Amino acid sequence: MNIEKKRRIKNLAALTLSSLAALSGLFWLVFILGDVLVHGIRGLSIDLFLKDPAPPGIEGGGLRNAFVGQLLITGMATLIGVPLGVLGGTFLAEYARGRRISRLISIVSDIMVSVPSIVVGTFVYAIMVKPLGHFNGWAGAVALAIIMIPVVLRTTEDMLSMVPWTLREAAFALGAPYYKVIIQVVYRGAATGILTGILLSIARVAGETAPLLFTSFNNSFFSWNMNEPVASLTVTIFQYAMGPYDSWHAQAWAASLVITVFILFITVLGRLLLRWRFGK
Amino acid sequence: MEEKEIEVKELNFYYGQVHALKNINLPVYKHMVTALIGPSGCGKTTLLRCFNRMHDLYPGNRYTGEIIFKEKNILGDDIDLIDLRSRIGMVFQKPTPFPMSIFDNIAYGLKLRGIKKRSELSERVERALRHAALWDEVKDKLNESAYALSGGQQQRLVIARALAVEPEVLLFDEPTSALDPISTAKIEELAVQLKEEVTIIIVTHNMQQAARISDWTGFLMLGELIEFDRTDKIFTSPSQKLTEDYITGRFG
Repeated sequence: MNIEKKRRIKNLAALTLSSLAALSGLFWLVFILGDVLVHGIRGLSIDLFLKDPAPPGIEGGGLRNAFVGQLLITGMATLIGVPLGVLGGTFLAEYARGRRISRLISIVSDIMVSVPSIVVGTFVYAIMVKPLGHFNGWAGAVALAIIMIPVVLRTTEDMLSMVPWTLREAAFALGAPYYKVIIQVVYRGAATGILTGILLSIARVAGETAPLLFTSFNNSFFSWNMNEPVASLTVTIFQYAMGPYDSWHAQAWAASLVITVFILFITVLGRLLLRWRFGK
Repeated sequence: MEEKEIEVKELNFYYGQVHALKNINLPVYKHMVTALIGPSGCGKTTLLRCFNRMHDLYPGNRYTGEIIFKEKNILGDDIDLIDLRSRIGMVFQKPTPFPMSIFDNIAYGLKLRGIKKRSELSERVERALRHAALWDEVKDKLNESAYALSGGQQQRLVIARALAVEPEVLLFDEPTSALDPISTAKIEELAVQLKEEVTIIIVTHNMQQAARISDWTGFLMLGELIEFDRTDKIFTSPSQKLTEDYITGRFG
């Protein structure tokens, strides 16, 4: 066998193996998404969004409480997590630039990003649920916020670091104090990047179940009260999927579809923003 | 003898332990262009950045000596840096437009000084752009992003931004090193025109540029001011051997 032939065979083998690996990955992805789509569409109805759950075993009803609860918890988590994350990232990239403490916090944040979310859930359970004696919506929002903060913080830090230093010097040379330089010049330069980071962090927490299971728990009734247990789509999906009724299963499928589409939408929006900003 | 705008007296500057400027004495004459030349690392940019206290942004930098401007030592602790930097503007090596519209770029320094009235802003933005010979090129697109301009236009935009706050002195740090020859010629022409209103100090590594546009030239080497004299004198009959070697291209 000559060298050329050997090389062709090796090439073919590598190509086949990597294609197979890619295909097997894609297969499961398409399988899961397809399954969610097929089953989810069947369960979709106007009632799903407008009605609260019917008593167990009775047909009909919807998941209005869970949709509203999910938005409430995610929204509050965003309100808590985004300012802290952006300000923290600003501290690291601007005021503590190049200092050891900055690198240390960055590394810890990177670790935080990959901490299992259930750990965060149990942590918040210990500080916000146990002492109060009952599950509550705030605890859920805080748990999600804790997951968001390191994501937002690191993106903010990276995006601010990409703004050229000379731009800051130019603003200083006009007599601007540092806080105005950051707000008026640096944030503007990094705005799309930071916004993308925020969107991706929302997408990241919107699908979390474990941290909510220990904190906001669930609620079969419609409620705006964040001091009480608050329903969420993810926990509802978990509960309904485990439940014995076919109507629950159908609703869980539909809820899965809605939340998947929501996350897909936010992720695509984030990607589009990034491309719009850096593609030019 | 001409009126002095700035006088540098026994200036020493340290980057931490590094003694970067050694006992500099130098007059800067009013409404003249003063060029600072010398080989890379000689301290010319370091000296330039003393005039608006840019070094204060970084920890560990230290000055001794005096820079007298308006009868005050601007190296003193009692100096309001915001006020100083509006009187002594700076233009950098690479164009530094802010990520905002052309209008907002020019208005930035004015807004910092508390000018909010739209009519006054418009008037002063137009005046600054005319001074920087950019008005005709941008008057129809003031609300477009400053990044849409070419490099040469961006550099003139930055000059206009510095001029808008009506400084008395403008510092140029190799303002044409990132530009093409035509844009360079425009900036040089502009610098010569501007000295009617402002005093200009320019750092350049291009000796022809110094010869073309400056009235006075300082030659620095290894942190020391070797020679300071009228530009024609420096370039025709310098008194120091080192200066002659440098301008005739024997080193540097």
